Amino acid sequence: MSGLVAPFSVPFMGRALAELLLLAVVCGPVSVLVFLRRIAFVADALTHTVFPGVVIGFLVAGWTGIAGGALVAALLTAVALTVLTRWGRLSDDTTVAVLLTAMFSLGVVLVSRQHSYTSDLTAFLFGRLLTVTPAQLAQTAVLAAIVLTGLAVTARPLILRAFDPIAAATAGYRLTLLDLGLNTAVALVVVAAVQAVGTILVIALLIVPAATARLLTDRLTAMAVIATAVTGLAAYLGLLASWTASVRYGLRLTSAAAVVLTLVACYVLALLAAHLRRRPHPPAATVTR
Amino acid sequence: MSWLLQDTFGRALVQAVAVGVLTGLVGVHVVLRRLSFFTMTMAHATFPGVVAASVLGINIYLGGVVAGVLTAAAVAALARTRGQEATAATGVILSAGFALGVALVATQNGFSRDLSAFLVGSILTVTTENLVVTVVLLAVTAVALAVGGRHLLYVGFDPAGARAAGYRVRLLDLALLLLVDLVVVAIVPAVGTILALALIVAPAAAARAWTDRLAPMTALAATLGAGSAAAGLWLSRLWDVAAGGSISLTAATVLLGSLAAHRLRDGFRTIFLTAP
Repeated sequence: MSGLVAPFSVPFMGRALAELLLLAVVCGPVSVLVFLRRIAFVADALTHTVFPGVVIGFLVAGWTGIAGGALVAALLTAVALTVLTRWGRLSDDTTVAVLLTAMFSLGVVLVSRQHSYTSDLTAFLFGRLLTVTPAQLAQTAVLAAIVLTGLAVTARPLILRAFDPIAAATAGYRLTLLDLGLNTAVALVVVAAVQAVGTILVIALLIVPAATARLLTDRLTAMAVIATAVTGLAAYLGLLASWTASVRYGLRLTSAAAVVLTLVACYVLALLAAHLRRRPHPPAATVTR
Repeated sequence: MSWLLQDTFGRALVQAVAVGVLTGLVGVHVVLRRLSFFTMTMAHATFPGVVAASVLGINIYLGGVVAGVLTAAAVAALARTRGQEATAATGVILSAGFALGVALVATQNGFSRDLSAFLVGSILTVTTENLVVTVVLLAVTAVALAVGGRHLLYVGFDPAGARAAGYRVRLLDLALLLLVDLVVVAIVPAVGTILALALIVAPAAAARAWTDRLAPMTALAATLGAGSAAAGLWLSRLWDVAAGGSISLTAATVLLGSLAAHRLRDGFRTIFLTAP
């Protein structure tokens, strides 16, 4: 039993778990909206487009400038994506792809003028999950609170817009503003998470939890709760696996990758569960509901 | 030609132009069929295959192709599961593939350099093998699209009509996905994922702004792709910045220019046509 709890009494492991649990709370509902609006690619793009902001922030103000730079870049992306997709002519996915590659390349070009080129990029990809500072934890908590409050206020119109944009427009909601709002929420989550946990983990946290939850339930609230629970579970198990592999067996299992792979394993299990649940009596299942 | 291949910059230039033409050809179909996210996923999900192949000592292209075929199959299968639409399924595969690749790379030595190379490529250290693979695939793709391009277009725009006309729609869709897969696998080792996506999408989207017809669009996309690649490489040498980044920024600039030109042209047309 102590093997399951003891690793987290080490301060850096405890902080890593705390950071991930905070992110789980906010990523549950956000990932559900990302899933409903089918903007997984936008989420992926945002994790890349904050990169030039990170670089410029670092160049201007050192380590303290990173969060600010990322925030500015993320908000700019959210606005640019909303405006460009509304502007027409280019299809959504083309706009996203071009914005993603252009912004990321800007970051790469800026970084390539510096000395520690590869190590900077790697830190950005992986984050520094095991060196999360209390200050970063506080920062994540603040951003999470902002995002959750925003979602709590706008959840209804956002869901309506996801299911029936025409009805939402008829009800008097401004679709552009709603899109901008959701893109901004995703952008804030990315900013809150990227420095601590890196891009690979952020993409996974924004997409996989809701996809997993969707396999287990049809109800939205339940989806958000399950998404959060699955993320929390995967965070715990992934960190534990990474710790055990490194300490006991001397295998280098990167913590961020371990958490993502655990999350994906949960998805596969949910997939199997969904298949098993429906297989025995396919017609009966629809009748009893 | 051989003098060009002696010099590092010359080799990079040849590779960049070949990649630019290749991505332009395929990019037209990626843009018309809205496969950008799939392309991005392909680039990430072939990563573990490449790493595993290099760990096991197999040809890395083989590993990439196998992983790519698995990815295409997995996306197609997941997208048909109840409640899982294509975007989410693609996203899950992307995260899984990326994380698996990173986990595999991290068990090896010197991994941060490999990872950066995977993302932004290292076109200046392109090998003869890279060059040969790119050129051969370019020839294969050109032939395949010359023969089947119009059919692909028909199936893309009107699947029901194509099916009624006797096309095997699923097969053609799969063929297109495999073609994207092959292109991604061939060029990612040399140019990296981000640049691969940039060169596939941006020149084709720029060509789309100038014309609505497939043949001119394809020719223009290939030209713009090759031009962006060459110009980007030259600018990167001029200003001493990362080659991959510089090329994809050039491609994005070309796209912005094309869109602006299109707007202007439309504007002029409206002025002249509505003038009394």
